[in-house]
Amino acid sequence: MNTEELYQQRLRRYLTALRNERPDKIPIRPFVAEFTAKYAGFTCQQVAHDFNLAFEAAVRCARDFDWDAVVPNMVYVWTGLTQAAGLRYYGIPGIHVPHTTGFNYIEPPEEEAFMREDEYDALIADPTAFLYEVWLPRVSTEIVKPGQPATYRSHLALVKSAMAMMVYFNAFGPQIQRLRTECGTVSAIAGIFKAPFDILADKLRGYVGLTLDMARQPDTVLRACEALMPHLAHVGLTTADPAKQVPIGLWMHRGCVPFVNPAQFRSHYWPTLKPCIEEFWRHGHQTMFYAEGKWDAHLDDFATLPERSIIFHVDQGDIFLAHRKLHHKFALSGGIPNVLLSYGQPEEVRAYCKKVIDEVAREGGYILDAGAIMQDDTSIENLRALTDFAREYGVYSGAPTDGPLLRPCDGADVSELVGLSDRPAPRVRPGVCLPWEAKLKELPPLSGDVDLLRRVWENVDALGNTYIWQLLLSF
Amino acid sequence: MSTPDLQPLYDAVLSGDAKTARAVTEQALSAGVEPLKLVQEYMVPAMGEVGRRFECNEYFVPELLLSARAMKAALELIRPLLAASGAQPAGRVVIGTVKGDLHDIGKNLVAAMLEGGGYEVIDLGVNVPPEKFVEVAQEKNANLVAMSALLTTTMPSMRTTIEAFKAAGVRNRVKIMIGGAPITQRYADEIGADGYAETAAGAVPLARKLAA
Ligand code: B12
Repeated sequence: MNTEELYQQRLRRYLTALRNERPDKIPIRPFVAEFTAKYAGFTCQQVAHDFNLAFEAAVRCARDFDWDAVVPNMVYVWTGLTQAAGLRYYGIPGIHVPHTTGFNYIEPPEEEAFMREDEYDALIADPTAFLYEVWLPRVSTEIVKPGQPATYRSHLALVKSAMAMMVYFNAFGPQIQRLRTECGTVSAIAGIFKAPFDILADKLRGYVGLTLDMARQPDTVLRACEALMPHLAHVGLTTADPAKQVPIGLWMHRGCVPFVNPAQFRSHYWPTLKPCIEEFWRHGHQTMFYAEGKWDAHLDDFATLPERSIIFHVDQGDIFLAHRKLHHKFALSGGIPNVLLSYGQPEEVRAYCKKVIDEVAREGGYILDAGAIMQDDTSIENLRALTDFAREYGVYSGAPTDGPLLRPCDGADVSELVGLSDRPAPRVRPGVCLPWEAKLKELPPLSGDVDLLRRVWENVDALGNTYIWQLLLSF
Repeated sequence: MSTPDLQPLYDAVLSGDAKTARAVTEQALSAGVEPLKLVQEYMVPAMGEVGRRFECNEYFVPELLLSARAMKAALELIRPLLAASGAQPAGRVVIGTVKGDLHDIGKNLVAAMLEGGGYEVIDLGVNVPPEKFVEVAQEKNANLVAMSALLTTTMPSMRTTIEAFKAAGVRNRVKIMIGGAPITQRYADEIGADGYAETAAGAVPLARKLAA
């Protein structure tokens, strides 16, 4: 079989499982992060700081392991970019953290949160402007606050980090192509999304700050989540797979019990997340719920989403429970404990995979992966045992290997879905920093192709929007 | 002077109302109530109840955090008086998140529960090197050491720390307990820790059992 045939076979296998149906074999889709460095003979510092080496490491793994899909670079944060922007919240290997580790996200202490408790109204009024004016100068060691004297270094930090982002993002196309042509491996996800409540905790108020706000000003927090929804959903939609094959990644951090109590989940987290997921599905995009930690308390809520609109990934939760509660609607992935993969014996790995396959994968709709991303502690021998065992044992009979290639969204009826469509439009449209209407007021009377003038202004303005929301969501 | 009603202190800790906890404590102290009585008869039972509710899913991390803050607000007033009176804590714990690991939400909850259990808690923060645990445990004459790890990559730091206690010849002077999401009883046994608890609430009975 040539590489393209292999790719097509794996793509069909993966898409069939995403559709919660039975493929020919259980797809294997390990989220390997610093593991790739260990396997390829690089250091964690190398893959964090030089994304070309990270790409190379991912390719070497994809070439050598019989995996159906991987992430083009799961060591996602390129620290060359974070350094250019002067981001305080990353430890760079060899500078702030030992060179033997990967990049490290570092949360500021409570009193130094990047957003203060009395700044909600400014955030709500214009989230994009707030990020540029208040948040960015606070998270950066280089970029100065509006109103402060401009500096050479501040200008440099903006230009360099923005161009670095462009360089980095533009490198993904060729990397995805390499995975396809050199390894026959599918790029597992496309696009990024986080729940409004999680973003408030992760990058703005901090977890403790947000927890206190939930006691003191819960309505304001809710308004902030609502104000973030259209902007975050815009990022999800504009970064999603245009072919609508692979899902948008939703990284779920601290919206679950016990981080919040059940009432807070019902009042804040879920009502501001669910419409976004339905909005994606309305547009034909599936979402991968990467449920970090344990989300067992919320499976009944997730089950209210439209059939096939998500795939549910299990980290430390109970995958057997998730299967009982969700399998009738969605595919599942993950559930193999990282502790086992790092410190267990190959026979224990095989036994655990057998148990999961027997109980969860019988009717298809299961994608094999560890619970959490795999760092350099993951044993190569154990990951090989997982792969070999799944290929041997994870075979279904009677699955069609030809016929039309169906995507998750094919055949879904979304006509009744509301998503975000019934919500009032925000004052500044998502994806926009400086609206054309505002710019127009400063310009002399226009002539010629006015539409061209508007379109190009808006397209370039959108880049400014991409920069700041990507910093918030991806970096 | 009549003895003030101290039930509101218990209630304030339980409901996470720091302002009231502080105010009642202030009143009680100026009315001459024994500081130790406040701790042992009101705060420890209140935090015990907080732990119980956490264990049976009536309380969650937000409630724990708020109760811990209320307790701390009261303790700030009481602690100097306790020290001056020479009252002995239930035990002395050195706690920290192990080397390489920066996760501290769980560790802070454990520290608060232990404090609420009447222990003196010396919190070394995050990314604590083995030598630091050993040094401070000796210096403060602690009888308990509590380590937290949230990453599978940093679990081995727990083993290294236990080895550092052995190498310094002081392993038998402390009981060592460990916890954090990836940790199991099996791992605790394997690396020679004295105890493991799954939750922050479980840390207090464990400490009592170990130091009995
Ligand atoms: C919050 C968080 C962070 C925050 C930490 C902020 C902070 N101040 O703590 C930030 C964003 C900084 C962070 C960074 C990273 N994180 Co993190 N993080 C989490 C997250 C979302 C929650 C962890 C948590 O707070 N749990 C809540 C507390 C209450 O639970 P707990 O700690 O287990 O504690 C309870 C019990 O275990 C027990 N307990 C805890 N300690 C002790 C000790 C004793 C003695 C006892 C008795 C009991 C006990 O009591 C507590 C209450 O009952 C988890 C995913 C998840 N949802 O669980 C990922 C997670 C732990 N992180 C992960 C990773 C990979 C990272 C990073 C490496 C990412 C990166 N490349 O930057 C960095 C590493 C930084 C570092 N060097 O530590 C992975 C770990 C995967 C693995 N293989 O182990 C997880 C599982 C996410 C995932 N699924 O991929 N993270």
